[in-house]
Amino acid sequence: MRQHSQPFGLTAIALVLMLCWAQAAFAEDKLRIYTVNYPLAYFAERIAGDLAEVSFPAPVDLDPAFWTPDAETIAAYQGADLILLNGADYAKWTAKASLPRSRTVDTSRAFRHAYIRTSDAVSHSHGPGGEHSHGGVAFTTWMDLDQAAQQAEAIAQAVTRRQPDAEAQIEGNLQSLQRELRQLDARITAITRTDPSRPLLASHPVYQYLARRYGLNLRSVMWEPEEVPSESQWSELEGMLKTHPAKWMIWEGEPAEKTVERLRALGVETAVFRPCANRPSTGDFLAVMTENARSLQRVFGQESTGP
Amino acid sequence: MIDSLYVAWRYLSFNWGRSLTLIACVTLIALLPLSLEQLLDESERQLLARAESTPLVVGAKGSSLDLVMNSLYFGDTVPELLSMAAVDRVADTDLALPIPLYVRFKARGFPIVGTNLDYFDFRGLTIAEGRNLALLGECVLGAGVAEALQLGPGDTLLSSPETLFDLAGVYPLKMRVAGVLAPTHGADDVAVFVDLKTTWVIQGLVHGHQDLTAVTDPTLVMARSDGSVTATAKLAQYTEITPENLDSFHFHGSPADYPITAIIALPHDDKAAALLRGRYVGTDAADGLQQVVVPGSVIEGLLATIFRIKNVLDAVILVVGMATVLALILVFALSLRLRQGELQTIFKLGCGRATIARLLGAEILIILAASAVLTALLLVGVAQVDAALVRALFIR
Repeated sequence: MRQHSQPFGLTAIALVLMLCWAQAAFAEDKLRIYTVNYPLAYFAERIAGDLAEVSFPAPVDLDPAFWTPDAETIAAYQGADLILLNGADYAKWTAKASLPRSRTVDTSRAFRHAYIRTSDAVSHSHGPGGEHSHGGVAFTTWMDLDQAAQQAEAIAQAVTRRQPDAEAQIEGNLQSLQRELRQLDARITAITRTDPSRPLLASHPVYQYLARRYGLNLRSVMWEPEEVPSESQWSELEGMLKTHPAKWMIWEGEPAEKTVERLRALGVETAVFRPCANRPSTGDFLAVMTENARSLQRVFGQESTGP
Repeated sequence: MIDSLYVAWRYLSFNWGRSLTLIACVTLIALLPLSLEQLLDESERQLLARAESTPLVVGAKGSSLDLVMNSLYFGDTVPELLSMAAVDRVADTDLALPIPLYVRFKARGFPIVGTNLDYFDFRGLTIAEGRNLALLGECVLGAGVAEALQLGPGDTLLSSPETLFDLAGVYPLKMRVAGVLAPTHGADDVAVFVDLKTTWVIQGLVHGHQDLTAVTDPTLVMARSDGSVTATAKLAQYTEITPENLDSFHFHGSPADYPITAIIALPHDDKAAALLRGRYVGTDAADGLQQVVVPGSVIEGLLATIFRIKNVLDAVILVVGMATVLALILVFALSLRLRQGELQTIFKLGCGRATIARLLGAEILIILAASAVLTALLLVGVAQVDAALVRALFIR
């Protein structure tokens, strides 16, 4: 019996080694995709499926729009087969880093003429260059779910170009994702259509595309959810409420309890609409957006009936 | 025969001045055409190899030779500038991958080549030390630059001002060396590579300074009004990009308007190359202000000119050589007349005419052999420096 077990053991080891080798070889064949925010990572994962290994290396506690990777992380981006940028000046580090154009895809390029320019920057002048401003472009493009669908399409085209044999699979995955995005888009449109002139407040100027797509009458302050606003910020809000009598303020995250109470005293309720720029602790992009749609239902005085 | 060679050697050694002059004359006659041939072969190799590996170059209308020499060999003459919009135009055709180049500035005599990482992939450049470009303000040195300047990863290199008299111009940028390339024995060895955006920093189009809305020093602000701040000339711009001030660097105007010198276009296939070239034919193509050239054809034209010049040089060398040979014959004839008494003595000592002829033949043989050895040594020397010599003579 002992004499037989040795060949079996060797065969088992050889099989395990072959499996490991096959797995490693398969992993090498996979596309390495790096993204600058979570929505793009989610779209890439949905579209490429097992064809790609998608990485989004920003720390979970930071806003990827303002995160700057170190040289090693930039080197990892440089080594990727595909680097997915959001465009619209998102992730400003990409403008100051060296990335290979041939492997970089600006996913919002198709609608670059529809970017929203922000006008809150101070212009200045010095030297021969004349007056200029560092004001930028609203960058949370995916909050307009139609634009999100277009970004998904750009990703699908880029992946197909690198994996032409898997065109049918990629197309199928894209259509499935776009169907879900458009269903959600239709749902939010239906919610907001009931009272488009309803004045709303936003705690942060990140909802420009959401407001444009769904016709929201939205004005923003510059508050952080975890910080209680200063007295001057409260005064500013009270002044704003005189001309813009909003009953709801939408937040990127759960606001501090003290802020909620004081807002309630002013007759303003709070609702959370997460931009979902970074990977959520639970669920995925569509789950978060579905939750956001429920928040909008409350804001527009509708009972939550859907999932 | 050995005896004749010995006697001839002793004679030449005794008259060393005359012998050395003869050896130098013969060596020069042989060396000139041979070394010229060697240099031309090397220039042909260098120019053609690089040109033939570069499918298309897009540039502003003007001298196609200047465009190619600047884009491929980083020559001193800067062609007319293009804007970055031209890069988007090539990319939008979906016919070729555009690699922008901005070759205008220098650092300690070496050209600064602003490009992106696709250039490294295209030329097959690999990092021998350190790492590749990652952030604004970094540079990667060609192997020759690193050796000549004795620089390596972690060191810094200052860009040179375009003109010494530009006192009010942009300050030189202190660039951090991120890595050194493996030798390629070509133009890339003697270049300083930076990201395209870094060249715009050198030019002053992208810059960093203190946040003007937050400065407290009143001497830095000339005027302040709602939504606008005007700085005084005292506001200093950063001359080195560090992790601390990186975020303050910003673009003025639209990046699509920023200048470049050329675009290397890598078509997906022959059909795409033909279609792309077609887009630049006619006045309505690319505003009629741009051209697309095939570097191989441009360089072949240049080489044809060089070889025409070489033919003239060959004729000159031939005439000079013939004159020198005649002069040598004259020198020998005169020296025979001067040595008449000496030859009579040899004859009286019992040597026949044949022996005397053998002695003279041995002298000539030794001079020719010495010249051949010297020519070979000098040609080996030329071979050691021909790459650099070609760059200095034909490319810069």
